[in-house]
Amino acid sequence: MLHLMKYSLLTKVKNISAIFWPLIFPLLLATMMYFAVGTMEESDFETIPVALVAETDLSKGERGVQTEEVFQAFLSSVETDSELIHVEEMTGEQALKALENREVKGIFYSGSEPSLTVGSNGLAETILQMLLESYSEGKQTLEDIARLHPEGMEAAVRQMAQSASAVEQVSLGGRTTNGSAQAFYAVIGMACLYGCFLGFGSAMEIQANLTALAARRCAGPVHRLKMVFSEIIVCFGLHFANTLILLAYMKYILRLEFAGSYAEMVPVLLVGSMIGVTMGIFITSIGKTKEGVKIGIMLAFSMTFSFLAGMMNVETKNLIDRHAPFINRINPAALISDALYCLNVYDAPKRYAQDIVILSVLCVLLAAGTFLIIRRKRYGSI
Amino acid sequence: MTFVMRLDDNGHYKKHGGKGMMISQKDSFLAVQGASRIQNTGGIKMVKIENLVKRYGSLLALDHFNIEVKEGEIFGLLGPNGSGKTTAINCILSLLKFDRGSIRIMGEEMTPDNYRVKREIGIVMQDVAVFEELNVWDNIDCFCGLYVKDKKKRRELVEEAIRFVGLEDYRKSYPKKLSGGLLRRLNIACGIAHKPKLIIMDEPTVAVDPQSRNRILEGICELNRQGSTIIYTSHYMEEVEQICTRIAIMDHGRSIAVGTKEQLKSMIKTGETVTIEAVVLGEKALSDIRELPHVFDMTYSGQTLTVRCTGAQHNLVRILNYLQNREIPFGRVFSELPTLNDVFLEITGKQLRD
Repeated sequence: MLHLMKYSLLTKVKNISAIFWPLIFPLLLATMMYFAVGTMEESDFETIPVALVAETDLSKGERGVQTEEVFQAFLSSVETDSELIHVEEMTGEQALKALENREVKGIFYSGSEPSLTVGSNGLAETILQMLLESYSEGKQTLEDIARLHPEGMEAAVRQMAQSASAVEQVSLGGRTTNGSAQAFYAVIGMACLYGCFLGFGSAMEIQANLTALAARRCAGPVHRLKMVFSEIIVCFGLHFANTLILLAYMKYILRLEFAGSYAEMVPVLLVGSMIGVTMGIFITSIGKTKEGVKIGIMLAFSMTFSFLAGMMNVETKNLIDRHAPFINRINPAALISDALYCLNVYDAPKRYAQDIVILSVLCVLLAAGTFLIIRRKRYGSI
Repeated sequence: MTFVMRLDDNGHYKKHGGKGMMISQKDSFLAVQGASRIQNTGGIKMVKIENLVKRYGSLLALDHFNIEVKEGEIFGLLGPNGSGKTTAINCILSLLKFDRGSIRIMGEEMTPDNYRVKREIGIVMQDVAVFEELNVWDNIDCFCGLYVKDKKKRRELVEEAIRFVGLEDYRKSYPKKLSGGLLRRLNIACGIAHKPKLIIMDEPTVAVDPQSRNRILEGICELNRQGSTIIYTSHYMEEVEQICTRIAIMDHGRSIAVGTKEQLKSMIKTGETVTIEAVVLGEKALSDIRELPHVFDMTYSGQTLTVRCTGAQHNLVRILNYLQNREIPFGRVFSELPTLNDVFLEITGKQLRD
């Protein structure tokens, strides 16, 4: 097996066309995106105006008043510590009118159960929603602190606001952005999927009906699964290294700053690399079409997935999330991008975990599908 | 009309599908060149294929194909393109599914999982099958490593293979830097480095210069002398005649005749073909020549006369005497003994090169 892996690695490393798509192209794309998207975002990003309507729940007595105060303190802290939102207190009527006139992007109601009303869908509205979700997740803790240790309330609110305002902390190339971050995550997602080219190369060398080289290898005394395993391990290892190089390039050369920990991003790259490789082997293993056609199919799949994940226009992903969320829940590029976004922007560990699980399931399905096809040992035609 | 000739248990050829013909095997053996090779053909059956049927949709690629290859032979599969040679090879290697029949190698049924048998087989594919990214040495080591695990032994085998195919000066060269002939030699080295008992070569000399071709053919004979049994497919009858101890002629997926080249030639009526160029003949002269003893077929086209005679002697002298006696001028004269192409022509009614 080591012998197989040694030469598999050598052939892949020395094959420029095999490493262009999985490594060089994403590096080029990231560089181009750094100059294009980053600049664009610099002028686009604005503080989000939001209305706050006090809805004290008198029926809950002191508790209701306390909840409202805690929420207001939370928003105030986000506003002060960052320029993410600008909060203006209004009556319900004024707020609705302002929303109608698009003077504000949303209305926070600070009752015992704070709520949010928005007039449309978009990035700003998503951020407001994430703020509310962040508050709701830590609401009980804050209320307990307010009741038992009111002196620590300010620090607690600040702590929570910092967590919720991670969007502001994302500073890519020194430019305040979150839309461009999404595009960079889509590039990482696409780079992971481009592992399919390594998978493609491997499948071409282990399926006797595809090339003479594969036929020669299959005629040898090596068990088919051993051959497949060695190829998958090499492709996966190599592509995982490719994605790490891309990440390092983004961090050290482009100096993009990700809010989340790099260590937490590694599992995404790990599963993403695996899904790219298995996707390549899977697609190549189906049928006996020409090499060019197979490459075309793979490019079409990976580019479509990346497009839907928001690589070319960040709004695409948001649109799909709103109108056909299922597509992005099975789109590997969107899942990878979303997982990275969860880490660096949303601070939503549950969703991050969900993304990883779905990616892993897709991986297993693709690998199982590949084995079902490749386990065939004799072919109808060569 | 197509018919099939096979050697029966009594050493006689039987023609199937046409009028019966019995030819003594004894005489043909007397004229065999390289008798030592023939002596090997009495050995153990290395490959036995029975009633192999392979269809590609409605196309019948192998039609009850039968061959037996004995240990120590260089067994040639000769046939035009599309006759089923490569399909047969791929079935033998267990790469292709087949519809009916059985394949036994070294006494064992050949299956995709029969790694014990696969370990004893070397393959030289029709298309050059090497890694572009690996140099000559690494390519041979890569394929040899599928069969031989011991590194030290493998290193020796790789060096031996390099010397054998004459690529000593190209150890570190990459395939794209090699000429067509050298590439074919590398292709062979990758298939034979592990010293297999059975070597299957599928048209290894296609698109190769004469010098490399001769080297390859000499190499095949050398491998055979070293103990390997070889199955060699080609549509070049000269090559097959030159190196093979026994030959199966294939057409439309069937082995239409099997035997040594002498046995095959003795099956047919043609003993000599006389060709005379630049000769002007009238109806009377053509009719007279047709009536000469042992002449059984004649064509006259573009002032070229081709006369096929049975195996009797003095055919050429008789024809030339006739022309000289009538003071008929003529140009160049050729006399050819029957070739495998004549065998193919007589059995199938078409040229091997068609």
